[in-house]
Amino acid sequence: MKKILVLVMLLSLVLGSVFAQGSTEATADSYPSGPVSVIVPYSAGGGTDLVARALVDAAKANFPKNIAVENRTGGGGAVGMSYGANAKADGSVITMITVELVTLPHTGTGAGLYYDQFKPIMLVNSAYSAITVQKNSPYNTLNEFLAAAKTKTMRVGNSGVGAIWHLAAAGLAKTAKVNFNHIPFDGAAPAITSLLGGHIDAVTVSYAEVASQVDAGNLKVLAVLAPERIAATPNIPTAKELGYDVAIGTWRGLGVPKATPQPIVDKIEKIFTEASKSDAFVKFMNSSNNIIDVMDSTSYGAKLAKDNDMFKALIEELGLKQQ
Amino acid sequence: MLLEVLNSVFSVQIFLFIILGVFTGICIGSLPGLTATMGVALVLPLTFGMEATPGILLLIGVYVGAIYGGSISAILLRTPGTPAAAATVLDGYEFSKRGESGRAMGISTVSSFIGGVVSVLALWLISPQLAKLALRFSAPEFFLLAVFGLSIIASISGNSLAKGVLCGGLGISLSFIGIDGITGYPRFTFNNINLLSGMSFIPVMIGLFAMSQAFSTVENIFTPDQVTQKISKVWPSKKDWKIILKTAPLSGAIGTMIGIVPGAGAEIGAFVSYSQAKRSSRHPELFGTGIPEGISAPEAGNNGVTGGALIPMLTMGVPGDAVAAILIGALTVQGLQPGPLLFTEHTTLVYSIFLGMFVANVTMLVLGLSSLKLFVKVLSVPKAILTPMIFVLCVVGSYAINTNFFDVGVMLFFGILGYFLQKADVSVSPAVLGLILGPMAESNFRRALLMSEGSYSIFVASPIAWVFVVLTLVTLLGPAVKERLKKH
Repeated sequence: MKKILVLVMLLSLVLGSVFAQGSTEATADSYPSGPVSVIVPYSAGGGTDLVARALVDAAKANFPKNIAVENRTGGGGAVGMSYGANAKADGSVITMITVELVTLPHTGTGAGLYYDQFKPIMLVNSAYSAITVQKNSPYNTLNEFLAAAKTKTMRVGNSGVGAIWHLAAAGLAKTAKVNFNHIPFDGAAPAITSLLGGHIDAVTVSYAEVASQVDAGNLKVLAVLAPERIAATPNIPTAKELGYDVAIGTWRGLGVPKATPQPIVDKIEKIFTEASKSDAFVKFMNSSNNIIDVMDSTSYGAKLAKDNDMFKALIEELGLKQQ
Repeated sequence: MLLEVLNSVFSVQIFLFIILGVFTGICIGSLPGLTATMGVALVLPLTFGMEATPGILLLIGVYVGAIYGGSISAILLRTPGTPAAAATVLDGYEFSKRGESGRAMGISTVSSFIGGVVSVLALWLISPQLAKLALRFSAPEFFLLAVFGLSIIASISGNSLAKGVLCGGLGISLSFIGIDGITGYPRFTFNNINLLSGMSFIPVMIGLFAMSQAFSTVENIFTPDQVTQKISKVWPSKKDWKIILKTAPLSGAIGTMIGIVPGAGAEIGAFVSYSQAKRSSRHPELFGTGIPEGISAPEAGNNGVTGGALIPMLTMGVPGDAVAAILIGALTVQGLQPGPLLFTEHTTLVYSIFLGMFVANVTMLVLGLSSLKLFVKVLSVPKAILTPMIFVLCVVGSYAINTNFFDVGVMLFFGILGYFLQKADVSVSPAVLGLILGPMAESNFRRALLMSEGSYSIFVASPIAWVFVVLTLVTLLGPAVKERLKKH
């Protein structure tokens, strides 16, 4: 018995000293003085995860004490982002924050999460909703589709209730003064499969997610809900051009806890801005249909505030707020 | 073209990558908490810098190996290494209790191989025809498939149907926790952020199977084992071969069909195969007592899913399961877009994948059979040393899946619950099935009604729907009718 006790005490000593290592004071000059983790609030292998891993890979050289991606999933992203917001404010934990940061609090499922818990570092990429129908659908333009929606209930698939592509469809319906029958799926892929099978009329997921089916000639995109035409698809009009002023999309960026000292924030921004310009990262983003959309911390901060207000109003109007 | 394909697969480099993939997969699969999906996702970044063929085959190797590897811990430790092996526990662990774990693992390895080969053949020969099936599935068909799956509870309830149904109900009720997928309302979450996305499946499974078993082992931890494991023979006997050859090809085909259906993965393939084997058996009452069919069917069934899941992915760019979704990502990063164009524009690659997948299955067979004796040694470790290690594995495994400590608590809770269920002679498999199929049934039922704007006729509107209605009725009423016929 005594032996075990001694063993336990020794073990806790060893473990204690291992965990105590990271506690040296961090300054901009010495940053990163220890290992850094990048929190991805979604599962390994998903879209956000891949972008995070590619970016981290490109920035690796700047982190001699190692940098690792950590997937903390759950609550539609709330679990990982809350963890990142409440982490130590010394730059040792960087979080991949996504648009859900400004939607979950308003649907009532953010568990106390709010965008001002983060100090934004940079926007990395963005993707806008693409109104997509089957290739042999009778509608060839967004106007035709919306005109038909006035007399027929269109079944519009999205990636989950309250998720960004649901909000996109709802935002379009609101602007065009029509009603859609919103069909939520468990992610974008099943919604697209359902559209391919002809079980629904349209989907409102991102262009990147439907690109392969569009290229294969199975689906066609009527319009994108973007502020301007997407560089990869200059032929697809925006809804705004067609008279529906609505731009809704998802984005991914980096953030650190609010109390993080400014010099460290600047250093992180510098490292990752360079990484986002690296050949390897650009090549990865292009081949995976992701659009690089870098914004510095000031403009990203302004975007966060603006999107937060827009989604708050939209979600309240749609009655998506729970409790 | 044939030469090109042979050239591209039969090179030392590709062979090494396949062997590496399968080996990694077996290790990942046999560790509880590390699933096939996770394994493939973790290896994925390594393929970014590789060429397309070796990269994809490395990932497929991991996939095939992991689905097989789950059976190793299921048989030896009553701990399904991946959800796909949950059905293998039913009969597999009974073998180990009798000291026949070597025989059980031999059967499992050979059956996994046969199941895998059947699915590769389907993938190679008839994938374009089968692929169309995937698109025919919509919400009502998914709902009826889930109901059919739930009817399997009747086959896996052990000796009391009532207890099985109760336990299945428990599993379904657990699946109610979390944000409701149709209206977004948080149910039974008690304002706890960790419950928003529902009960995490892996910790529940580790708790119910592994932790509960470890708890009961503690009861007599210092009494030496009565059973010595016979490990001399891993190659199945003639008698076992007969049974395997009767069971595995059909189970592999069932697994392939399940794999094609988007969203239905290896765990469902294994359970459906098990239930089918039991129903068509002349001695269904022996299932669950440790008979070769009880291992052969689920193991051929879950490896059958591997090829099936690739069918809609390669032909249409539609993922058949979570792993196939990651493979789509892997192909896209290589600048290849899965879909109809892949077959015409990259024929060599597609056929290299077929051939490589076959090689991966052979590798799995060889690696599996040659390392079985090593794995079985685990059971010769004294319980007093092995059991604490299982405790550690349970904790690490349930933490690893989401890096969330809350899951460890969930695992402990279900470990204690599972312990008492075991005392009450309740089989926990129905709870696992309920937890897998509950959400699938519920969300698709409501999605179907959303699509039809409230009309119930959507559930009988397609031939596929009718097939599942009939299958469910046969599963539920079949045994009773058989009994009646016998009496008259």
